[in-house]
Amino acid sequence: MTEIPGHRLIASAARLVPPPRRTEWQREWEAEAAYAWQRLVREGTPSSLAVLRLRVRVLTCWIDALWERKQTMTMMGMWADLRFAARSLLRYPTFTTVAVVTLALGIGVNTAVFTLVDGVLISPLPYDEPEELLSLEHLGRDGRDELPMSTGLYALYQEQSRSIEELALHSMQAVNLVGGGDPERILVQVVTPTFFQVLGAQAAVGRTFSEAEGLPDGPRVAVLSDGMWRERFDADPGVIGQTVDINGVLREVIGIMPASFGYPDRRARLWLPMVVDPNQAPLAAFGMGGVARMAEGSTIETVDGELRGLIGRLDEFFPESGAVAFLTQVGLAPRVRPLKESLVGELDRTLWILLGTVGFVLLIACANVANLLIVRAESRQRELALRVAVGAGRADVVRAFMSESFVLAVIGGVGGLLVAAGAVRLSMDLVPTNIPRLDEIGIDARVLTFTGAISIGSALLFGLFPLLRSSGDLAGQLRDGGGRGQTGSKQTHRLRNGLVVTQMALALVLLVGSGLMLRSFQAMRTMDPGFDAEGVLTARITIPNAEVQDNGEVASFFRTLLQQLDEHPLVASAGFAQSVPLGGGVGYHNLAVEDFPAGNGEIGVLASNNQISAGYFEAMGIDVVEGRSFEPGDGADGVRAAIVNAAFAERWWPGESALGRRMNRDSPQEEWFEVVGVVENAHYQSLEATPEHMVYWPATVGPADTPLPARSVDVAIRTTGDPTALIPILRGAVAELNARIPVSNPRAMTEVVSDATARTAFTMVLLGAASGVALLLGIVGIYGVISYIVAQRTREIGVRMALGATASSVRSMVVRHGLVLAAWGVVVGLAGAVAMSRVIASILFGVTATDPWTYVVVAALLTVVAAGASWLPARRAAGVDPSNALRSD
Amino acid sequence: MGRLFSLTYPTAAVLLAVQSGHRYGFDIMDATGLPDGTVYPILRRLERRGVLEGQWEDEAQARREQRPQRRYYALTPVGEESIAEVLERFPTLPRIFGAEPGTA
Repeated sequence: MTEIPGHRLIASAARLVPPPRRTEWQREWEAEAAYAWQRLVREGTPSSLAVLRLRVRVLTCWIDALWERKQTMTMMGMWADLRFAARSLLRYPTFTTVAVVTLALGIGVNTAVFTLVDGVLISPLPYDEPEELLSLEHLGRDGRDELPMSTGLYALYQEQSRSIEELALHSMQAVNLVGGGDPERILVQVVTPTFFQVLGAQAAVGRTFSEAEGLPDGPRVAVLSDGMWRERFDADPGVIGQTVDINGVLREVIGIMPASFGYPDRRARLWLPMVVDPNQAPLAAFGMGGVARMAEGSTIETVDGELRGLIGRLDEFFPESGAVAFLTQVGLAPRVRPLKESLVGELDRTLWILLGTVGFVLLIACANVANLLIVRAESRQRELALRVAVGAGRADVVRAFMSESFVLAVIGGVGGLLVAAGAVRLSMDLVPTNIPRLDEIGIDARVLTFTGAISIGSALLFGLFPLLRSSGDLAGQLRDGGGRGQTGSKQTHRLRNGLVVTQMALALVLLVGSGLMLRSFQAMRTMDPGFDAEGVLTARITIPNAEVQDNGEVASFFRTLLQQLDEHPLVASAGFAQSVPLGGGVGYHNLAVEDFPAGNGEIGVLASNNQISAGYFEAMGIDVVEGRSFEPGDGADGVRAAIVNAAFAERWWPGESALGRRMNRDSPQEEWFEVVGVVENAHYQSLEATPEHMVYWPATVGPADTPLPARSVDVAIRTTGDPTALIPILRGAVAELNARIPVSNPRAMTEVVSDATARTAFTMVLLGAASGVALLLGIVGIYGVISYIVAQRTREIGVRMALGATASSVRSMVVRHGLVLAAWGVVVGLAGAVAMSRVIASILFGVTATDPWTYVVVAALLTVVAAGASWLPARRAAGVDPSNALRSD
Repeated sequence: MGRLFSLTYPTAAVLLAVQSGHRYGFDIMDATGLPDGTVYPILRRLERRGVLEGQWEDEAQARREQRPQRRYYALTPVGEESIAEVLERFPTLPRIFGAEPGTA
């Protein structure tokens, strides 16, 4: 038999196949070729074309062989490399520990912040088809007035809008819950019956509201939150059908919401139906939140456009309402936003800045690990040269390096997850409670993916650096007998110096950021809020109509209460207001001012309004700048007095005295109130915002026999000692007058202030922690580089010392090297910080983003730290014994 | 259970060819009409995934025909299961392999 065509082809291809598979592989191909040849020959002498075809077919054994090789090599090779990497990492425990801890910190803080970002910003809302949900609000005067939603607009949109499938109103209120144990002051959401339907939420037990329950004279019902149900009713499903006493009205419990439901505010303990009479819904009674579900095929733009159209025709729909002219005047415009966006509010900026910050920390960590790996790479030169000598290709060398980086990154990633889990739990106590969706935050699949991705990304990043260095002539290294080629070292030094400079620069940017936050926090703390929080207790007291009907009784309740408090030895002064500073709930209203009469349909003067008692300014520490404070009896017939704040006075009577001017609350038949005093500007909305114009009215207004008192007030009591000691005194005094009226939310005013600074404090602490880690890693980096250089130059230093260099000159030489690196880092970092200043400017307060002091102090700090980090290796260098050093090599 | 291999047309063709009795590498090349260079890598992959199983043919048979033993491929139970999916994805394929082995 002649030789089978392709026989030699198979034999040579077989050499490619890895040995364990080779014999079988060759046998199989040879058998196939033999069989095919046999069949050809059986039918006589085969045509040359047929022989050629067979040859071509056999030729494809090369493809098979190459595939076999690739498969086996990558699987076996990769695994072997990983095992080898793990083993060699174990051999250098210090290196491995430092690298892993660095990475775990870097990955951990990133995962932690990403968990926050993910929970708050990325993950969808837990409602049905959340992308269809919108928040509906309105703005006036080009965004200067916030006019959320009114029942009138609700009724109008519900009837007319086609782009909205369904909408609902919600409004948070505080009510008194009586019966069972202590009377309790609780927060509730009053919502239109459409509310649950819009969100697609179902009751866990029972049902939600029906349409009839939102009509005037409808059934009186309530839906409980899961928390309320568990705490007050021991999770008894039999509570359905029972009644609860809310503000003196008995309501039947019809349903219990699942624990996961807490829109729009987790603090609400139950939901009550909002009664809207479509025929009498007031158009301008703003102050409710609106949520809507888009109709199919609608977009935010179509909803916005349609609502604008409807608002343009308000006079058609509300021909008798006087408010139309007012709304036209302020240029009422809808603000339609995705529900999520409105929930998250301005937090997203802070969170993205934080994520960017910790991204920097990770970069610094990677630079550190890269630095460590470069040193490792030096010592691996021989091993790699050996690999190349026995036939490893470039790809194999890359894999050998990368597998070590990969193993480090995986361990670092796992460590990072642990760090993140701890940090997330820890920060839950730290974050301001007004961060939305806090309870939805946790480490989930998306977070795990993120951690995996940044771990691998980091491995690629820091694993690359030693490769840059090792691309040189490896075989040459082996020949020269060691990894000490001078060219290589120079290149390495440059690389490592570059890394350290980058680290320093990044650390500087972060330190500037946290320095600026610190200054913001300080500014907030030291600013004059317009009141004196020290030694003040506040608490809210509400007298519902159902409890005390008669206005005279309400007025005398508060009068007697203040008298009793004033008589107590611990109380320096006491008073009350509709709202105390930072308490929320100050209403913006139209005023009529005698000096500035408004034409028909024009807006008069807008200002915040606050009804206060005599003694309030003294108790709250708001100074009277001009004129006098309120006295008992102000507000009664014939003694109509008002007080304005300095901002209001300055706005309307700049350079003149506001005293003696007259105004009223925009009702033509009301008498004029005369301004009797001007007080300093107290911050009511927030510490950051400029204080609003405010007018204070007496707490009790009207004739002595039928006064119109405020029913819901914040009491303010000033003491010389600890304000919380006043809590039992206040409770006792209230209980003595009427045991069914609760004292809610008693807090020291200082606590209210620190809550108002909570977000800044939170950002400051996180940025501070991040830049602290950055600084620490920077120190490790510079220390590592300088130590390494000292070790490399031991010989040279020995020679210098043998030639008469003093220890101190050697020390300063080494420290100088560290300082040069630091200086470069500072220069690059300052430029970076200035470039980044625009980003952080939006969350600063009372300090500019390019505050020179912060920059100077941070630059100095970094330089000092760098000098310190170089000092230790410098001391070691100065201790070199010339004779030893010269002998060692 | 997730799929063990990506079910491309060539893979499906190889599986059906094996199922309809074309058991040897060169026979499968003939039966499927796939480019020669693609069939063996597919066979190797399917064997590694446990979809196919390679066996050496009976020694006596080869000796009788005075040639070396050939290596043939058969579906494993996993492979048998995967046929249903092959038929579902490529319903026209079976007609191509209707013929008896060796006659293609």
